[in-house]
Amino acid sequence: MRVIIFSWEYPPRVVGQLSGYVSALSGQLASNKVDVNVVTYDDSATGQTQEASGVKTFRVANPVRTHIGVLTWVLTLNQEVERAATNIYYEAHKHIDLIDVFDWHFIPAAVTLKNALDLPFVFSIESIEDQRSPNANASYNMAIKSIEWLGFYEASRISVKSEWMKEEIVRIYDVPKEKITVISSDSDSLGKEFQKMYGKMAEAKKNET
Amino acid sequence: MKHDLTVMMLSWEYPPRVIGGISPHIYFLSKHLAKQDIKVYVVTCDFPGAPAHEVIDGVEVYRVDSYKNPAPDFATWVYLMNMNMQKETAALTRKISDKIDVFHAHDWLVANAGIGLKHVFRKPLLATMHSTEMGRRDGLHTTTENMIHETEAWLTYEAWKVICCSNYMISHVKYVFGLPSDKLVMVPNGVNTHNYDGNEDLKEYRSKFALPEEKIVLFVGRLVYEKGIHVLINAVPKILSKVNAKFIIVGSGYMKEQLLNIVRSMGLEHKVLFQGFLDEPSLLKLQRCSDVSVVPSLFEPFGIVALEAMAAQSPVVASDTGGLSEIIEHDVTGVKVYPNNPDSLAWGITKVLLDGYYAKQLRENAYKRVQEKYDWEKIAQQTKRIYEGVLGEYSKSFWA
Repeated sequence: MRVIIFSWEYPPRVVGQLSGYVSALSGQLASNKVDVNVVTYDDSATGQTQEASGVKTFRVANPVRTHIGVLTWVLTLNQEVERAATNIYYEAHKHIDLIDVFDWHFIPAAVTLKNALDLPFVFSIESIEDQRSPNANASYNMAIKSIEWLGFYEASRISVKSEWMKEEIVRIYDVPKEKITVISSDSDSLGKEFQKMYGKMAEAKKNET
Repeated sequence: MKHDLTVMMLSWEYPPRVIGGISPHIYFLSKHLAKQDIKVYVVTCDFPGAPAHEVIDGVEVYRVDSYKNPAPDFATWVYLMNMNMQKETAALTRKISDKIDVFHAHDWLVANAGIGLKHVFRKPLLATMHSTEMGRRDGLHTTTENMIHETEAWLTYEAWKVICCSNYMISHVKYVFGLPSDKLVMVPNGVNTHNYDGNEDLKEYRSKFALPEEKIVLFVGRLVYEKGIHVLINAVPKILSKVNAKFIIVGSGYMKEQLLNIVRSMGLEHKVLFQGFLDEPSLLKLQRCSDVSVVPSLFEPFGIVALEAMAAQSPVVASDTGGLSEIIEHDVTGVKVYPNNPDSLAWGITKVLLDGYYAKQLRENAYKRVQEKYDWEKIAQQTKRIYEGVLGEYSKSFWA
């Protein structure tokens, strides 16, 4: 199995909890013989590396240096994410099972890749805008929510860390329950659980074609 | 039907959505490319009442919902619109039976979509730079302006070839983005002279705008700083002291209120008509019955309005800047005046209005010139050759 993981933070870049979590998960997947390709952002340490665990990382920087806000920053960074992901895709002779997108930032890239190359994606949730900025309905927050909504809509599967988050997403975004998989983050078998979910998706895709 | 090649054209405007010069440019270019056995797809923004898909003159036009996401400001809207445009174009490119050979993006407004699609489908990207942020704003002063400038730089970097429509723009773009010369190609803009055919009596139509004894001075353009409309407004009293005229201002923009106030303070509301936006058939007729067409731009990459006026056989007075300097040959196909100089502008306009023989000469020469040089068919042929050249190079690359 070969997967691409999108995360806007990955060690050594640590913004919040997501960085360590994605790193731990990627390592576990790699030790379970999954070919893991992490596409992430770094302002200067760009390019490709391979970790001892076998995880391959692809770091891209923003081609536009000056920005008026997080939204424009994210939206121009997505094209570089697409470029890196497409390079992985062609290097692998188009044999990519799926993309797993952690949080909203790289949803636009995943949506384009899905529509262009028929690559399904998982939308994995660390946190959502409604909780990060409660009751904020300025167009800035609404735009982020609309990208999250696009992700929930276009994703083949959504993964969350708790039953509570599952209910929140169903409540706020009206996502069908069946689409959401709960994988506890303190589970020792984190990698195995994700792998199981990926396996089901790959199976479903095979049956589809 | 077998085509020579297939192009996916990206533009934020296409008729009936008309904001500036890009819209008619895409319309005519696509239509004439289609006549050259090129299959053209245009993906553009939606417009009230316009269908999501239609075929116009052999061109497949797709309009995407571009106001789906709330946006805090214009620039953010552009990037969000690109997200949707890219998604829809990706799905379309995958769906259609034609294989897309090149993506062709027009201005930074579709930069993200064009760049993303290039990489995802691994096809060459061409960019036409109709303008630059640095030129529009006469420098880069704000964070937004810098961001847009860098987005333009990124687009020209990612493009296989960068097309500009005047020699002036070629040197400007080369300097502003530090591009190598062999990446730049000049293809002029065109004008369709048949748009202005017709020999009906326009006397009655003219009377809607001006008294019979008033000469019509026409300005067509967005009411923004770079178009120099304020220079014309400042020239109005100087012209009126020599000749009886009516000034008709077609277009709108952020300077409108300010300009209205100046006109009011001069007590000339009865002489200056702010017409706002005008539909195309009405505009074509108005251009035909104008005694002079004024293009007082401070920055003008090309100056399509000048060409339109020439095709409409209305004598042109334009500032000697940018693309206008190349279109107008002074005293032969029009009058060139000093940019940002109301005295010079007033002199030019007055000269044309008072000397009927001179005006007639300009009119005839100008009409001949547009037919010879700015014909869309020739422009489409040139563009096709650029596509073919790029595809020839591409076929030897590891992407092919």
